Amino acid sequence: MHDLTQSRLLRWAAFFLFLESTILTLSPAVRERTWNVNYRLSHWIGYFVWLGLILIANRVIARRLPERDPYLFPAAALLSGWGLITIWRLDEGFGARQTIWLSVSILVFCLALYLPKNLNYLKNYKYLLLFGGLLITACTLLFGTNPLGFGPRLWLGCCGFYFQPSEPLKLLLVIYLTAYLADKINIRLSSGPLLIPTLVVTSLALLLLVVQRDLGTASIFISLFTIILFLATGKRRILFGAIAFLSIALFAGYFFIDIIQVRVHAWINPWNDPAGDSYQIVQSILAVANGGILGRGIGIGSPLLVPVAISDFIYAAIAEESGLIGTVGLLALIWLILGRGLIIAIRATDRFRRFLAAGIVTYLGIQSLLIIGGNLRLLPLTGVTLPFVSYGGSSLLTSFLALFILLVISNLEDNEPALLPDPKPFSILAGILAAGIAVCILATSWWAVVRAPDLLERTDNPRRSIADRFVERGKILDKNNNPINITEGESGSYKRVYLYPDLAPITGYTNPVYGQAGLEATLDEYLRGLQGNPSSLIWWDYTLYGTPPPGLDVRLSIDLPLQTRADELLGNTAGAIVLMNAQTGEILAMASHPTYDPNKLDDEGAAISQSESAPLVNRATQGLYPIGDLLSPLLMAKFGNLKPVDSEILDYYNTLGLFREPSLNMPVAPETLNPSITSMRVSPLQTSIAAALLSNHGNLPIPRIALAVNTPEQGWVVLSPDEKPGEMLPSEASNETAQHYIVEGKPYWSHMSLARDGKTTITWMIAGTVPDWSGTPLILVSALEENNVVLAEKIREAILDLAMNE
Amino acid sequence: MSGSIVLALRLVTTFALYGFLGWALFLLWREVRNQGTLLANRRVPGISLTVRNGTASPILKHFAQPEIIIGRDPGCDIPIPDDTVSTRHAQLTYHHGQWWLEDLGSMNGTILNEIALSMPTVITSGDEFVCGSTKISIALSPNVMIEPTQRLDKKNDR
Repeated sequence: MHDLTQSRLLRWAAFFLFLESTILTLSPAVRERTWNVNYRLSHWIGYFVWLGLILIANRVIARRLPERDPYLFPAAALLSGWGLITIWRLDEGFGARQTIWLSVSILVFCLALYLPKNLNYLKNYKYLLLFGGLLITACTLLFGTNPLGFGPRLWLGCCGFYFQPSEPLKLLLVIYLTAYLADKINIRLSSGPLLIPTLVVTSLALLLLVVQRDLGTASIFISLFTIILFLATGKRRILFGAIAFLSIALFAGYFFIDIIQVRVHAWINPWNDPAGDSYQIVQSILAVANGGILGRGIGIGSPLLVPVAISDFIYAAIAEESGLIGTVGLLALIWLILGRGLIIAIRATDRFRRFLAAGIVTYLGIQSLLIIGGNLRLLPLTGVTLPFVSYGGSSLLTSFLALFILLVISNLEDNEPALLPDPKPFSILAGILAAGIAVCILATSWWAVVRAPDLLERTDNPRRSIADRFVERGKILDKNNNPINITEGESGSYKRVYLYPDLAPITGYTNPVYGQAGLEATLDEYLRGLQGNPSSLIWWDYTLYGTPPPGLDVRLSIDLPLQTRADELLGNTAGAIVLMNAQTGEILAMASHPTYDPNKLDDEGAAISQSESAPLVNRATQGLYPIGDLLSPLLMAKFGNLKPVDSEILDYYNTLGLFREPSLNMPVAPETLNPSITSMRVSPLQTSIAAALLSNHGNLPIPRIALAVNTPEQGWVVLSPDEKPGEMLPSEASNETAQHYIVEGKPYWSHMSLARDGKTTITWMIAGTVPDWSGTPLILVSALEENNVVLAEKIREAILDLAMNE
Repeated sequence: MSGSIVLALRLVTTFALYGFLGWALFLLWREVRNQGTLLANRRVPGISLTVRNGTASPILKHFAQPEIIIGRDPGCDIPIPDDTVSTRHAQLTYHHGQWWLEDLGSMNGTILNEIALSMPTVITSGDEFVCGSTKISIALSPNVMIEPTQRLDKKNDR
């Protein structure tokens, strides 16, 4: 009966892992969306070694322990296999090592099954075992290393294999404490002397671990000591005392031990420093969020973004690729082991076996909850492993030895349990562990479902730029559908190419290191396919591939011939040019110099962003310059020959929108909060909107640069501005003013002005078509960061002649 | 295409994981059910007790239950109106294939075959024990036996 149950469960486990391995093999095809890829095969070694070992162990268990609990071993086998395949997926080198460690662990497990079944040797040699463990752990003080080459030196290593003695030390402490306490028949808290040996031994171990900075293991030790003592005495005040002690220890550690301070800060406020101390926890939460409900599928997510995903953060890695539904299964498996373990403890035939089983359940439960809670930001991070699942030979071996002890205790030939004077401590322990599992499920749902949409949109979520390599981004096109920014390459190596680099301050860039700027940033939702596509398509692509659907092309109002001319004219002069349709507000050309080449961002990004000439700034929309008497045509149109007072002028400027942010979906200068006539500064864009009223019969246009987006269902869809243009002035007054400023022999009016800005002089020029011009009404503004009226006139004639003759 | 196939595989994988868990839960449920049936099917060999109290005529009682409580309380299985018997004086229980006699901390103690009872003790046909001034003799009827555990297990497994 037991054998049958165990074999059937193992069959399910093998089926599950077979499917996981198959998905992992196919995963490159999904990522690159083609069948022509290099399939992943190496992890099948891990799968078949696992299968063989499990079959052998199943045989040995059936022969040696006919009456053992049949659920424990299949659950542990599934967890260890799941961990093994996940480690292969994350890092093949570590996968191979873990396969060796699993073989060692299961062979030791099988050999241990041939030891006497009464476990008296554990009881008799408890001091020897514990002090042996302590001694080996103490050796790490002298000979300790860290396989990573930095960090706490907790390992003893030789020939490429490392062993962490503090892992088995936990099990040895459980054995010692339970063996000692089981011998003392009636323990009362008042009988202090009885407890002194356990206190001494536990403190010794703690001291060792605190010196070693192995604080995760130290907190497990305190929990183990407390709970085992609680089980033996049944006094609840021990639990409260331990909570108080842990709080005080945390408080003291916070002030004296740097790593605790860092961890606590990262825990309480991770969003303050997401790139520094809280990097691990933020990335772990992002991985859980990216998993969502179904998970991305093994091999299709990006769990390697989380540091040490193979050991400390393996729960986050599994959550990303198996989703909420998978982690609930994982937690249920852990609960199956813990729950069955507690039943084994209750049914045990003597006190030692009962305490030992309960102690092992405590050890497995506390350690699992500590690290899963750390991954989910329920608890501060502690660098402990997830039993059976995480990478690590010492952890795996210890977990299997713990399993061995539980199985031996469960093998009851005489089913007469020992007397249980007070069942309460056991039900309280079961309650604590069940509540811990439940809280972990809730926290995973919180990050994976409730908070996921917000989290995944964070700019420090590297999955966005990874998706950019696999999904084609939409093109940015000019007015006549000529490409400006396009994506080249094949799935897996897509790269943004900027065909017209001079437009860089306006169209910006999208880069895995430097993020996004300009129109690439403000139009990102369309270019990335998250807006404009039907939501069912977005959902389907995200479910299948974990990426957005192919991006949509966006058409700008920029007219490339005019743009080229404007860039040529500006040349090496710092400044900006804006050419706008005075009626519709469509921006036909927008130049900002000096500019930069976004194609070279990878190599020169740092130099570009730190350059004194600030090429990243879009001078046309973000550059604020002092104004001089540039706006006198506008004053004349409003007030005629009257002399307005300052407050009237400011009110007028305010209605012209000179102090607020123009509604254009790209970065613009912030609004001016306390404007004054003498110190006011405006951007060329703001000036062009205000001045447009002279060429547009007294009406202000709404500026536009992104005209339309090419959606799969409806073709080109116009992106209309939110605002309606407003009538500012009677058209007679504005037309009269335009006539007053008309350029001799030309169909346009113009005004120039020089303004001092510290040591430099700003040359302003505004020009516009006359009101009765039959073609497109145009407004042109240039601001040069030098005293150069000649160039300003040249710009005016060249651009307006070209634009008006089109 | 690859995405849809792998999505189907992912769903089957989830099914396998929950298949494991569901199967484990089903087996656990069946274990509880079997345990219940097992205990319900357990047959207790009948026991006959002859109660002699002073000069009154002896009373013969038959039982087929696993727990028999003797005491002065009228709710006991064998109520004895005798002031030397405690309210709940002693109990007879059947477990581990034996009938056991246990004193329930009575004032005057229970004496089995002229030896004061200090721990649960196995009894057999012909034994005699004394509660206060009441003498009870035991006769077991071995023809009614419980069904063996092993056979029931195997039957339910098929």
